[in-house]
Amino acid sequence: MRTFEFNNRLRITLLVGIAIGLLCLGLTWFSASDDGFHSRFWSNVLHNSAFFTMISALAAFFLAASVTAWAGWYTVFKRVWESMGLFLVFGLIMMGLIGLSVYMGWNHLYHWNDAASVETDTILQGKKGFLNKGWYFFGTLVIVGAWFFFATRFRALSLQEEKEGAGDDFQVHRRLRFFAAAFLPIFGFTMCAVVWLWIMSVDAHWYSTLFAWYTGASAFVSMICLTILVLQYLRGKGYYQNVTVEHMHDLGKLLFAFSIFWTYLWFSQYMLIWYANVGEETGYFHTRINEYPVLFYGNLIINFLVPFFVLMRNDTKRKAGTLVFVASIVLLGHWIDYFQMVKPGVAHTAHELAAHDGGHHGADTKHLDAHDDHGHDAKGHSQGHDAKDHSHGHADHGHDAKDHSQGHDDHGHGDHGSFNIGFTIPGFLEIGTFLGYLSLFLFFVFSSLSRSTLTSENDPFIEESLHHHA
Amino acid sequence: MAHNKVIYGLYNDEEDLMRAVKVAKDQHLEIMDVYTPFPVHGLDPILGLSESRLHIAGFIYGMLGTLTAFLGMSWIFTKDWPVIFGGKPYWSVPAFIPITFELTVLFASIGMVVTFYVVSGLGPGVVNNYLDPRITDDKFCIAFDEHDLDASSAGSFFKETGASEVHEKSL
Repeated sequence: MRTFEFNNRLRITLLVGIAIGLLCLGLTWFSASDDGFHSRFWSNVLHNSAFFTMISALAAFFLAASVTAWAGWYTVFKRVWESMGLFLVFGLIMMGLIGLSVYMGWNHLYHWNDAASVETDTILQGKKGFLNKGWYFFGTLVIVGAWFFFATRFRALSLQEEKEGAGDDFQVHRRLRFFAAAFLPIFGFTMCAVVWLWIMSVDAHWYSTLFAWYTGASAFVSMICLTILVLQYLRGKGYYQNVTVEHMHDLGKLLFAFSIFWTYLWFSQYMLIWYANVGEETGYFHTRINEYPVLFYGNLIINFLVPFFVLMRNDTKRKAGTLVFVASIVLLGHWIDYFQMVKPGVAHTAHELAAHDGGHHGADTKHLDAHDDHGHDAKGHSQGHDAKDHSHGHADHGHDAKDHSQGHDDHGHGDHGSFNIGFTIPGFLEIGTFLGYLSLFLFFVFSSLSRSTLTSENDPFIEESLHHHA
Repeated sequence: MAHNKVIYGLYNDEEDLMRAVKVAKDQHLEIMDVYTPFPVHGLDPILGLSESRLHIAGFIYGMLGTLTAFLGMSWIFTKDWPVIFGGKPYWSVPAFIPITFELTVLFASIGMVVTFYVVSGLGPGVVNNYLDPRITDDKFCIAFDEHDLDASSAGSFFKETGASEVHEKSL
């Protein structure tokens, strides 16, 4: 079967998934566990939007890298990456909306977006040139817009190549190579910038020079997982019979190798911060190890140990069962990875701003209430750390979590102890939101796949791809 | 084996070799061995060779390296010669990981190379009997033991499958 028929059954299943996602987002907004700033709602939107935007951007990037490298093995299924890249139109819309909300001040995701905090905070003062709402909103629009432009070029040229044939001197493919090569450096630099803006700056005081690589590797692995899952689904339905076990083997190798690459970056970031022990930097890991231990260690187990030991052998990469099993787990694992990048910072910002708004600046610095730090509505709490004291404040939270006898106001949502669904661990609403975004992504990919042939027959590398041996 | 006579044919191309091996398998001829200057994809399953166990050895060597490095450093820095570096605890696991990784790779790679040399009977000073020096360069060779296949039927097989040369040699 040369073209994919996006049948009604699949359409309805995915639409139900999208509806579940929307419902969960709505429930999050009105949920009692959300605070006065709707931190849980906004951080879920940011987490998933950034995750799927990065996945589609990495698909476009890897397609461009493969075209530039004269690679041939992927050609039979390159439509999948083209379609994933086109999802950047939703990335543009979703991240644009978040950018607008930041610009208009509808949420409190970012500490640097609070004028009162920036004024009294030397660190944020110093970062004001980059971390500001103008950069965030217009930077996001221009950068993701540019990515989307390149993704549409890749698609258009590939379709043109198929329609008109490769030609005597491969004119269309040469143009495709031009755009692909131009995209690589543009993507390399701009990806770092948007990752700093979107994700790293939720911990506004903190910075890591490895962060863009780390986040990019995470998105790349997720992209490979989704490619494996989509291809395996389509092969099971009788499409893509020209995608053989050899291609799946290579995707498995990429999944294996880049899981190790991700771990390498994770460890490098951790070890340098651990070794240097600079207060400003250690706050990031201190919060995660003490207050998010399940996510922090679970992250390493799911994203390193599982793919490393399961996919180490040759035959597990060639068997559909093990490959799909690992791809599903690792996809979820990297979603959790993004979760723990976003949530602690947002919770902390909400806590800090609530303390400012409440106006009770108590003198008791010792009894920092861990409860506050999890993003509960903390209005009226006595809370005595000023912005400069940031990392020390962090250091105290872990200990006080167990015995905070300090009275906290009851806003009807009770005390969850050191576990706070939606912040320290994903709850059902988060998983539902993830399903919604995933369904939207798959709906879009399948509908783009159905609008062209599944394999570009005039690509100059098609023969190499059809006879690929891993 | 020492007195055996070997009949071997040389092919110019790996495609010719693959076809010839398939023909031999179809006719149930017992191939003594096949020699190629480089690994030919897809040849192993046609010859019916079982999977190499070298990677299992590699995994064991790797684990040995991991344990050597990690336990070694743990002993040295906590028991044998404890030194405080940069205010860190004696048993600073993150600092051990890079060296643990390096020794894992070192043990696995050197162990596998040595194992491969021993299993293949290669090594410095070992004199090797090879059928033809060109099988390490540009010729692809199928060899039959004369006990399994007499010279005339081997000759007709080689002629039929397009071998460029046919030779006999006593090993």
